[in-house]
Amino acid sequence: MGRFAELVAIPLRAMRRAVLWWSVGLAALIAATVAFWPAFRGTSGISSAIDQLPGGLVQALGLQDFNTPAGYLRGNLYELFIPLLLTLAAISLVMGQTASEETSGRMELILAQSVDHRAVLLARAIAVLIGLTLITAAMAVAQLVADGLVGLAIDVSLLLSTIILCMLLGLFHGAIAIATAGAMARPPAVLGIAIAVALAGYFGAALLPLVDALAPWRQLSPWYWALGGNPLITPTEFWRYAALALPAVGFALFGLIAFGRRDIASG
Amino acid sequence: MSDDKLVRFDGLIKRFGAIEAVQGINLEVVRGEVLGLLGPNGSGKSTTLRCLMGLLRPTAGHVTAFGVDATTEGVAVRARIGYIPGELRLPERTTGFELVASIGRLRGGFDSRRRDEIAARLDLDLERQVRDLSTGNRRKVALLLAFVSGSELLVLDEPTNGLDPLIQHEFLALVREARSHGTTVFLSSHVLSEVQRAADRVAVLRAGKVVIEGTVADLRGRARQRIEVWFEDPPPAEALTAVSGLVDPLLDDRRFTATLSGPIQPFIEFLARCRVNTLLVEEPDLEEAFLDLYAESE
Repeated sequence: MGRFAELVAIPLRAMRRAVLWWSVGLAALIAATVAFWPAFRGTSGISSAIDQLPGGLVQALGLQDFNTPAGYLRGNLYELFIPLLLTLAAISLVMGQTASEETSGRMELILAQSVDHRAVLLARAIAVLIGLTLITAAMAVAQLVADGLVGLAIDVSLLLSTIILCMLLGLFHGAIAIATAGAMARPPAVLGIAIAVALAGYFGAALLPLVDALAPWRQLSPWYWALGGNPLITPTEFWRYAALALPAVGFALFGLIAFGRRDIASG
Repeated sequence: MSDDKLVRFDGLIKRFGAIEAVQGINLEVVRGEVLGLLGPNGSGKSTTLRCLMGLLRPTAGHVTAFGVDATTEGVAVRARIGYIPGELRLPERTTGFELVASIGRLRGGFDSRRRDEIAARLDLDLERQVRDLSTGNRRKVALLLAFVSGSELLVLDEPTNGLDPLIQHEFLALVREARSHGTTVFLSSHVLSEVQRAADRVAVLRAGKVVIEGTVADLRGRARQRIEVWFEDPPPAEALTAVSGLVDPLLDDRRFTATLSGPIQPFIEFLARCRVNTLLVEEPDLEEAFLDLYAESE
């Protein structure tokens, strides 16, 4: 195994339990949500209650068409919970393998070997990418299996593109965490900045459309790029993937460059 | 840089905000020597070593190792160094074997026989999880990683912290062996006796500056030595007090006591002209020298 492969393997070994628990947790959330679909489908009470809400609020909460399979999944999972949890998973994995490792002093032994410090951070970014891909794959499997078991008829390609968009949204915020961790060895800043961007993006996408004058500004939100096209119903435009992936690559590159130019914190 | 100078600190300054941790260090590490970097906590030892390892970027000045800049050519420099950090933190959920294998893969492989030999000498069980190891045993893992690397230069920051005396003794043996095989050792410590036993040369740091530099023999030579002489036939007190280097001389009948500061040669020459029953010269301790010289530098 080459040196770079070992640099990737080290954080992968360290995060294997976290990846497992995130996978189990998100798969369980999906399976449990889908399991309630047969019971929900037969009731009209919730749909009637949603119909009583203002249209803007229904849209903000992603509750439109709640009595359809796609609307049910969007309202319960893919409007907020899944993208938010994947975002938190990405940020926490990044923080655990970068700033936290550095400030605890555990990274020093690795950085003192004959490796480029930027390669160490790049390897950790790749490890997080692999970890998040595994979590997303577990989610996708849980979704498809559960759909099949309860007869939730939904287009597989639309479902997979929605899940991939959620993963890219998580990676986008994970990349912001990498940029911060590359620039400074401060775990609270790594966590705080990325979560603040994620929450600002969510509220921007969800609440700005409630005011006509502000509605166009939602297009600045990564959440709008990811989910604004209603991907469970409409095939996703290519630009939405690129709008999330390209800045993520940019943030990660910024982090690598900054990391190569600064002091390493000691334990 | 001439070939025998493996490392050179050239006006090294390192600031952390308003704090100047290293204030212009000029120091050379000569190929094949054991250089001890001595000083109390906070004197800049770790900062100096971390600049050499490319973990810190100098605010001013240069660190050169193996003829290249240690900051810009860090990868090449680190490839030739085995390092033990002062603040040692190891990954918890791994065994000693796995950790050594992992670092070995980053360094192009370790000799497994040498690994097992050092582990046995350090009485280290590599099959245990790191999280189950005591501080001393974790330090042994770090020692093993440094010595198994076969590097040209070992940079050891407080290497014996937490080790019991037997293992400290084994550490000194490993240092001597490494030196005999041509390895250069640059170790920092605030444990004077350790440096006294391990090092050929010592640089003493105080508040980020090298205040004293010399061989261990030099330092010991500059140390005060307590002497006691029983004369068969005492010489005149005035003659004794006239001998250079004697401090607080006291002649009480046939017993003479004093403290000797500086070379012992004039006193030996004086005694050669006297009839002496017994002569006691206490071993100068580096700690005394260190404290004396520290006081001088203030």
